[in-house]
Amino acid sequence: MLAVLVRQVFVRALIAIPMIFALSVVVFVVLRMLPADPLAMMLPPTATPTEVESLRAALGLDRSLPVQYGIWLSHALHGDLGRSITSGETVTHLIATTLPATVELSVVALAFSLVISIPGGLLLYALNKRRGELLADSFVVLLISVPSFLWGIFLMLVLGVMWPILPFSDRFGADIAPPKTTGFALIDFLLRGDFQAWGNAFSHLMLPALALALGFAPLIIRVLRASLLEAAGEQYAMVARLRGQSDARIVLRHMFKNAVLPTLTLIGVQFGFLFGGTLLIEMIFSFPGLGNLMVQAVRNHDLPLIQGIALVFCVIILVINTCVDCLYAVVNPRLRDA
Amino acid sequence: MSTLAIQASGRWRQTARALLHSPKAMAGGAIVLALVLVAIFAPWIAPNDPLSQDLLSPLLPPAWMADGMAQYPLGTDSLGRCILSRLIFGSRVALWVGLCSAVGTMLLGCALALLASYFGGKVDRAIGYLVDLWMSFPPVVLSLILMVGLGPGVGNVILSVIVVDWTRFCRVVRAEALVIRRRDYVIAARLMGFSHLRIMLREMLPGLVPLIITLFSLEMGVAIVVEAILSFVGLSVPANTVAWGVMIADARGVMQENIWNLIPPVLGIVVTVLGFNLLSDGVRQALDPRADSSRV
Amino acid sequence: MAAVEFHELTLSLDVAGKRADVLRNIDLSVEPGAMLGLVGESGAGKSMVGRVIAGEIPPGFAVTQGAVRFEGLDLLTLPRRQHRALLGRRIAFIPQEPLSGLNPVLTVRQQLFEHLEHVGAPKAQWRKMALDRLAEVGLPNGEAILARYPHQLSGGQCQRILIAMAFCGEPALIVADEPTTALDVMTQAQIMRVLREQQRRHGTAVVLITHDLRLAAHVCDNVAVLYAGEVVEYGSAEQVLDAPVHPYTLSLKNAAPALQGERVALPSLSDFMPAVSDFPAIRGCRYYSRCTVRKPECESQPPALLPRDEGRRARCLEIIPASGCGAAQAAPALPAGERQAKPLVEFRNVSLSYPGRSSLWKKADPIQVVQPVSFTVAPGEFLGIVGESGSGKTSMARLLMGMVPPTSGSILVDGQDRHAADATQARALRKTVQMVFQNPDSALNPRRRVADLVTQILEADGAGSEQAADRMATAQRLMLAVGLSPSALGRLPSQLSGGQKQRVNIARALCLTPRMLVADEIVSGLDVSVQALILNMLLRLNRELGIGLVFISHDLAVVRYLCNRVMVMHRGVVVETGETEQVFNSPQHEYTRALIAAVPPETGDAVWPPVLPAAAA
Repeated sequence: MLAVLVRQVFVRALIAIPMIFALSVVVFVVLRMLPADPLAMMLPPTATPTEVESLRAALGLDRSLPVQYGIWLSHALHGDLGRSITSGETVTHLIATTLPATVELSVVALAFSLVISIPGGLLLYALNKRRGELLADSFVVLLISVPSFLWGIFLMLVLGVMWPILPFSDRFGADIAPPKTTGFALIDFLLRGDFQAWGNAFSHLMLPALALALGFAPLIIRVLRASLLEAAGEQYAMVARLRGQSDARIVLRHMFKNAVLPTLTLIGVQFGFLFGGTLLIEMIFSFPGLGNLMVQAVRNHDLPLIQGIALVFCVIILVINTCVDCLYAVVNPRLRDA
Repeated sequence: MSTLAIQASGRWRQTARALLHSPKAMAGGAIVLALVLVAIFAPWIAPNDPLSQDLLSPLLPPAWMADGMAQYPLGTDSLGRCILSRLIFGSRVALWVGLCSAVGTMLLGCALALLASYFGGKVDRAIGYLVDLWMSFPPVVLSLILMVGLGPGVGNVILSVIVVDWTRFCRVVRAEALVIRRRDYVIAARLMGFSHLRIMLREMLPGLVPLIITLFSLEMGVAIVVEAILSFVGLSVPANTVAWGVMIADARGVMQENIWNLIPPVLGIVVTVLGFNLLSDGVRQALDPRADSSRV
Repeated sequence: MAAVEFHELTLSLDVAGKRADVLRNIDLSVEPGAMLGLVGESGAGKSMVGRVIAGEIPPGFAVTQGAVRFEGLDLLTLPRRQHRALLGRRIAFIPQEPLSGLNPVLTVRQQLFEHLEHVGAPKAQWRKMALDRLAEVGLPNGEAILARYPHQLSGGQCQRILIAMAFCGEPALIVADEPTTALDVMTQAQIMRVLREQQRRHGTAVVLITHDLRLAAHVCDNVAVLYAGEVVEYGSAEQVLDAPVHPYTLSLKNAAPALQGERVALPSLSDFMPAVSDFPAIRGCRYYSRCTVRKPECESQPPALLPRDEGRRARCLEIIPASGCGAAQAAPALPAGERQAKPLVEFRNVSLSYPGRSSLWKKADPIQVVQPVSFTVAPGEFLGIVGESGSGKTSMARLLMGMVPPTSGSILVDGQDRHAADATQARALRKTVQMVFQNPDSALNPRRRVADLVTQILEADGAGSEQAADRMATAQRLMLAVGLSPSALGRLPSQLSGGQKQRVNIARALCLTPRMLVADEIVSGLDVSVQALILNMLLRLNRELGIGLVFISHDLAVVRYLCNRVMVMHRGVVVETGETEQVFNSPQHEYTRALIAAVPPETGDAVWPPVLPAAAA
């Protein structure tokens, strides 16, 4: 099985690399279509034409498109993603300081989603053809209809403003030293043995992660329930019943493992949405992560930063998809044979 | 015991009956219909001009509360504009964006899905690769970047949604189309010498219509959410157009003082998307061929 | 005491306000250690019997009368919990589709051990018991099997595992519902043998539900024939097969073509088995509408299951002799074909292979699906291609139709190379050879009406843009040719029965009056009586229109009835070919011999299942 996994990763990586190139080209081209001139925003209105031209040359905006891309690419391969127009710092540095926060947020959000959705899906399935079903089903449809950014606003309103239980901005309190070792607050604070800081960081994560989770979990619930229904109709479930196995056991042991497969596919597909959702959530909660950085960059038309972050997003999504595929092969024995 | 299945007297009658009996389809349909009516008759329904500012009466609460005015049933925003009127007029943008985006994604996604599933082999792989490529990009990020590049405007928002979300149609329709492709009647048609285009349109497409309708409704909901996100970030409509996302962005700034600015647009989006989702669900359940087969 | 006993069991359903008895007055008993065969066509209600035993009666159905006694307990009044506790332990089931009967994501070991735990075996014994049971059913390499997943095993192996599981708990009763229908003929023979041996070894009572009368008669001790929810005949296996007493049993036996003996005409029964919705309207015998020896009394009074001689029982008036249903007539002549004329289809050294699945660092060998073969098909003759799954016979159909080009060699139709044809020639080829697909559900567009479907080919470019009236006339002509009423023209496929759909399928292929049809397994899955109808129709079409046929099937008896020449295929190789009677009466190749031996014989005295040389499949 290890050989199969290694091969999956290898093949995926081979496919992924041209994809990343293609995506970076797309981003590059789109951004060059800007109607607004980025230079005009960076210079005061009194700038002379020579100053404008020298800045244009310095930023390389006077060259042709393919040449510009070539320059950017060669730098990128060396790890140099340019400098942010607005802040002047290197893009790599900016990304490095904000990425861990977003990853942490996404992981916690995913964990929350699973905690809500797996029992939720099983419960909804158990209600099949019973009295509460239509109500529960419609409730789930209602949940799906609320996009995560609205959940963010709602949670901020209810649990942050109306009943201030949880903090709703920043990553942790001002008096706490930021994590240095891995960049992940929850890990570092644990390593430091500083439980108070850990609790503080976690409480700051709760609302944004919950908002993301609430946007994600209902989808998982639906797919899980649909897959369980499908598995229930399969021959092996009927045969297991005829063998005398208890219903609970059939669901949990036989059907669940089969139902997990389409669910896993959905998680892989939808994770892009989850990750994209961090943009707005971080913006709403003033959470210092990659998403927030992207929103600022977009508002400021900060081209190098936008490009760099877009690239990083792509890489992350591809990594996640590869993991999901590998996980899929682990769970589904039919894919393991050469 | 296959003979217990009710003999279909006519497909359309059966379909209509199934739809009428589905509470979800009915509820969703009602909401969508209400929305369409509100959008069409907006100038006659709205109490005030959504753009006129009454700077003397900013941040009023709804009419039924202590400081409210009857003139502004849901109150006003920070520039004194009537919330209810803005809500009503905002439905126009929402619906327009939803409809056009859904049509565009449907045409693009279905065309590619049919081609991929019909021809298989290299064509399928190429299109599959394209879809995978596209889906490697978080949609929110891609749409933001596109809007940055294209500039504000409702037309650009629609284009943005189509470019970002056509993969949804393509993936789902392709899966179903592949099943139909393998049916013997498609192979038989090919053996009879019909052209590729004819087979795709006359043999395969009709079987996909229920799924396409379901996705269409779903897509409208998605487009409305994307538009709301874009206008929330400030990248969608020009400054003088009313959109629910803009209302939410404005309201968020004054959340501490007046929560009633926030609730109507949020509810507007949620109820609208709920309507489309319910309709989509109801249609799917009513037209799902698997629901026909007798369980006995 | 009987192992299981059905006493006047009646299972009813509410149809439009009236009560319809899906099972009526079922009176059966199975002694411990005996095997009962329950034979019936689809819709007869035989699966319902299994469901009643399992306590899995579908919603809407209710037992309105009778009792089902098992080991002294009445299963119908037993509390649900107690009933469920019996399943797997005292009562076991063997399902119909072995490959889907096992969970695809769990190993055999996981599922087998789970079952052993359920029947109460001590944990320390699990491995030994599992290996013992697997060896009993002919899987000596137990350890390897235990580690596998179901998709890595064949259908026969999976069924053996399911049989082993069923016997694990030493049950008193086993219900096997069509356990071999999904398997090949040879695998079927092996599995039946395994089942019989297990039954003798453990002394279990078995109820075998099947549609194959001959199969049941050779494997079981007693046979009960079910028709429209009633037991119409009961007796020992030999009695029921050799000398049936009820007219339906006789027609069932005669409707299935035989591999040995004289080639007799297959009688096609008129009408159909009444549907459940028709039951309330029938006052007399349910077989009345199709019975050829009926009397006026039969219509008003439902006959009881009356005892006859030698412990037999039949639901028929004593005065009717079953043998009076008409003497066996000679079968319609086999197509002769014009051997002197130019061959219609010619295969010259044709082979077919698919590229193997190669990965990035290993090039796999191509998979040879059809080994190089040369043969001809004369105009107007019927050629049968027989083989099991994986023999390459379906690939032959695709090669004949030009759906896939041969890897080597050439295929000529009417002298024209199929794959070197231009557009005009290709059109002509379409007029010459037409295909009839196997699955009528899949072969007809569910959204089109029959009139459109049968004349569909007329819409293709240049095949003749007909006026609507002409088209309707053509459609009517085609319907009559296949024996269907033109009133069906306005219907959708979902409103037709399986046999009717298949005939529409054939009518469609006849639209341009081809010179040859290619039919891939078109009668498997149909009831015996419907099958007989279609076979006779094909012979008639040959007589009237001179149409030839390449008939691909796994059923040797059908091929013997229909075709004058036969080709036997095994793993892509044509092992034997020749005149049908010659090949079947004196087979030359070992595989042909084994194949013929695996078919349940015509008379009750033959020994079956035989011991076959092939390894455990």
